[in-house]
Amino acid sequence: MSLDIVVCIKQVPDPQHFSKITLDPVKQTIRREGIPAIMNPLDRHAVEEALRLREKYAGKVTAITMGPPQAAEILQDACAMGVNDVILLSDRVFAGADSLATVYPLAAAIQKIGKFDLVICGNESVDGATQQVGPQLAELLGIPHVTYVNKIENFADGSMTVKRVIEQGYLKIHLQLPALITVVKEINEYRLPTVMAIMEATCKEITVWSNNDIHADGEKIGLDGSPTNVFGVFEQKSTRKRNMLKGTPEEVAKQAVQWLRKLEAM
Amino acid sequence: MDFGLSREQEMLRNMVRDFAEKEIRPRTAEFAQPEGEFPFDICKKMADLGLIGLPFPKEYGGSGMGHVAYLIAIEELAKVYPGWGSHLRGFGLVPAVLEMHGTEEQKKTLLPRMIKGEILSCISGTEASGGSDVAGISTTAKREGDYYIINGRKCMITRSTITDVFLVSARTGENPRDISSILVDRNTPGFQAGRLENFISTSRTNFAGEVTLTNCKVPVSNLVGKEHRGLGAMLTGINEVGRTGGAAMLVGLAQAVLEIAVKYAKERHLYGKPLTNIQTLLFMLGDMERNVARARWLTYYAGWLLDQGKTYQEIPGEIAMCKLDASEAAINVCLKGIEILGGYGTTPEFGIISKFKSALDMIAAAGSNNISRLVMSNATVKKYS
Amino acid sequence: MEKVTQFQELWIWAEQRNGKLMRVSLELLSKGRELAEKLGVRLAAVLIGDQAEAMARELISYGADKVHLVEDARLKLYQSDVYTNILEALIHSYSPGILLLGGTTIGMDLAPRVAARVQTGLTAHCVDLTIEAVNGQPKLIGTVPGWGGNMMVQISWKDRYPQMATVKPGVLDKPVQDEGRKGEIIKLQPHVKDEDFKAKTVDLVEEKIEGMPLEDADVVVAGGWGMNAAGGFKLIGELAGVLSASTAGTRPAIDAGWMPEEHMIGSSGKTISPKLFVSLGASGAMHFTTGFSKAKVVLAVDKNPQAPIFDVCDIGIVGDVGEIIPSLVKELSTAK
Repeated sequence: MSLDIVVCIKQVPDPQHFSKITLDPVKQTIRREGIPAIMNPLDRHAVEEALRLREKYAGKVTAITMGPPQAAEILQDACAMGVNDVILLSDRVFAGADSLATVYPLAAAIQKIGKFDLVICGNESVDGATQQVGPQLAELLGIPHVTYVNKIENFADGSMTVKRVIEQGYLKIHLQLPALITVVKEINEYRLPTVMAIMEATCKEITVWSNNDIHADGEKIGLDGSPTNVFGVFEQKSTRKRNMLKGTPEEVAKQAVQWLRKLEAM
Repeated sequence: MDFGLSREQEMLRNMVRDFAEKEIRPRTAEFAQPEGEFPFDICKKMADLGLIGLPFPKEYGGSGMGHVAYLIAIEELAKVYPGWGSHLRGFGLVPAVLEMHGTEEQKKTLLPRMIKGEILSCISGTEASGGSDVAGISTTAKREGDYYIINGRKCMITRSTITDVFLVSARTGENPRDISSILVDRNTPGFQAGRLENFISTSRTNFAGEVTLTNCKVPVSNLVGKEHRGLGAMLTGINEVGRTGGAAMLVGLAQAVLEIAVKYAKERHLYGKPLTNIQTLLFMLGDMERNVARARWLTYYAGWLLDQGKTYQEIPGEIAMCKLDASEAAINVCLKGIEILGGYGTTPEFGIISKFKSALDMIAAAGSNNISRLVMSNATVKKYS
Repeated sequence: MEKVTQFQELWIWAEQRNGKLMRVSLELLSKGRELAEKLGVRLAAVLIGDQAEAMARELISYGADKVHLVEDARLKLYQSDVYTNILEALIHSYSPGILLLGGTTIGMDLAPRVAARVQTGLTAHCVDLTIEAVNGQPKLIGTVPGWGGNMMVQISWKDRYPQMATVKPGVLDKPVQDEGRKGEIIKLQPHVKDEDFKAKTVDLVEEKIEGMPLEDADVVVAGGWGMNAAGGFKLIGELAGVLSASTAGTRPAIDAGWMPEEHMIGSSGKTISPKLFVSLGASGAMHFTTGFSKAKVVLAVDKNPQAPIFDVCDIGIVGDVGEIIPSLVKELSTAK
């Protein structure tokens, strides 16, 4: 058996610096200049899982990301971890896309890569956290999917068995290949790149595809192709509110629960 | 002039940061225990990632990424646990000497194993007569046929009880400056690791002590560099890794203390407002940042000069300056941090006091501050004629 | 604002597991009812499972005007391909304008696939859904927290139907049940072939989550030395129970043996950022409070009005923990 695996990864602002992200109230846009960017943490687990499968069954791992030119950095990180090939999908026309308009170019690119057995994604990204790209990508590729995968139990020719997390337990699912899975962090511990791997990764040439290479339908991509749009944005001040409640124990208990509801803490 | 890190230096820094957070931070209490087995597993992990080999050529198992990269790695480790920054520096001392002064045989057999972390080594120069006075030693190495017979006592030797190979300075000739550097394996009959010193930052992870050599018979092929010219060889390691690495370690620990102090000052309220509202304290934080930044840039500059091919003889002032500056910066930052944290400043929970202890032990180490000041000042006078 | 004309029905997807409706599906009915009234449309639920008629009636008792019921022994457990096919078929038959799903791990799996199948917009993790008038026309707006909660983003949908959204469990209120309420149950015979199950769920295994790492808990209840007079751990555990929370403590609480060392919060323990952090009987010394400064919401109870904990809380209660906590437990239990 030899597996062709595609891993979809995303460059995101480092969540440690989220509190520095500000809002331009006039333009209604997010300002994130100067915020360091990283590979989405769950995507590192996705790459790791692909590498482990390759170690066990032989094959090839390709990492692909859709983003601005700076996103090439996470492809270098993926190279340093050990993937075989990397592709940057970058074009102005992709910008402003919601998840559906994002998966169109991604699906077209993966189809251009050619035959594959498995697509692996992180379950969600730290910035959008919609958890939508995986299942929607699977739909466009016409393959089955499973999200929240925390263990690949079995791999036979043409199918695999996975465990996927639910609130109080798990589901066991038989999956026909080719398929797409999204993984949670419990699935593995990802490796760190060695110094030698880092040096080789920074030399590696990265394949860049624009829409001219993949010919995604112009009406389905970018801002125009997005069936949802941002209507407005406002900042949430994060200083403590210090609401001191007064009354009998029963009264403060009632008020406290109301406040917890209001602050979406429950 | 490009002050930015190269992409590979950035990726290296991220990797070491991840390593420190994942492998070191969860075990800091364990590493700080006064007694126990030395955590060999961390050495192996550091070596496997290629951290020891950063400044050394590919030919001998290194990567050649350079000295700046090495200093970045030391700094990032020291941020989380200064003692591990110190070790990454320590593991590179003898390899640096061998790379410059070793025979091809020594380089081929020893360097790769040191870079892989299979052999732990250290420089053994200090004696009761003093560490700064490198030539004032009493240890002798008498030539007998194909061997040296070494007698002497060294003190404050890093990792004395577990180091595998010691680079020992010993008198081999009649003239006061006829000193040679000779490699001694710990298993050599007559070699004994003795009493450990109780420095303020001593723990099961970081310790140093006495070693005695009683008629240790060592093959002449263990000589590093020219006979009677061993001091120069030893100083390569002391300066090009020891001093700059020590500076990087101090920068890392100072950075950590700075971040602890800023976080505290933002959260702690006094008179109804965060501490950052009090200008005295606000200014302290700014000055702490300035100290760390300055020390860091002086350290990186020294590393950069080494990467340009300079030897310590060409840049003694720059090397001495960065160690001196980083040491004073780190102590200054720790003291200010203690002030800002008020009563909590010296409690273990906030992590400043353990860093301060490491900084104190670095005053005399890696070229003491005053020796560094001497070297730096002599270089200054020489510079402007 | 005019009533909507493009569609007649607002749907919620009702999730069942092991023959029991998920609570979030009932919560959706309350928001669904509110939106349906505003838009002048009917509220319907879609329920897929096996022998699910009792649950369909339950949905009506909680406010659904109509339930589209699809039953098959093979659909008892969640089957992503077939559930998607069924929803697609139902959507094509009935053209609902809005489809809401609970953001459970399964809802988050199903919703995006359906949205991509029928090519409409989906907004995830809504904490609120409202109708705004835009040029006199009613428009659905979803509010989503972004960037770690530092921003709130409002999302709108283009005119492709159904407009879909997922809502996190616990955000909406459960409606009041009316057993006598009348509604329509429409049974549908699904065209399901065995080949359709390309991702086939073969088993559901229940596991009680023992010792979830504190860092992953959404809600943490921590006790300090002030709990000593009130019986130590007991009340901490009770409050944690009704909040489905993990327990934690200050150094004195750990030293008193109420909890193991791994449960310590603070500079020598853990730093956590849960959605809700409850501090009971802790005065709020810096080395404790620094451990939860990034918690989204902090509720503090202590007997000392001058305690520094009240500087760093969102909701503060000064009083006897022995009285306040039981009242909180009672109020939270009845609110369930």
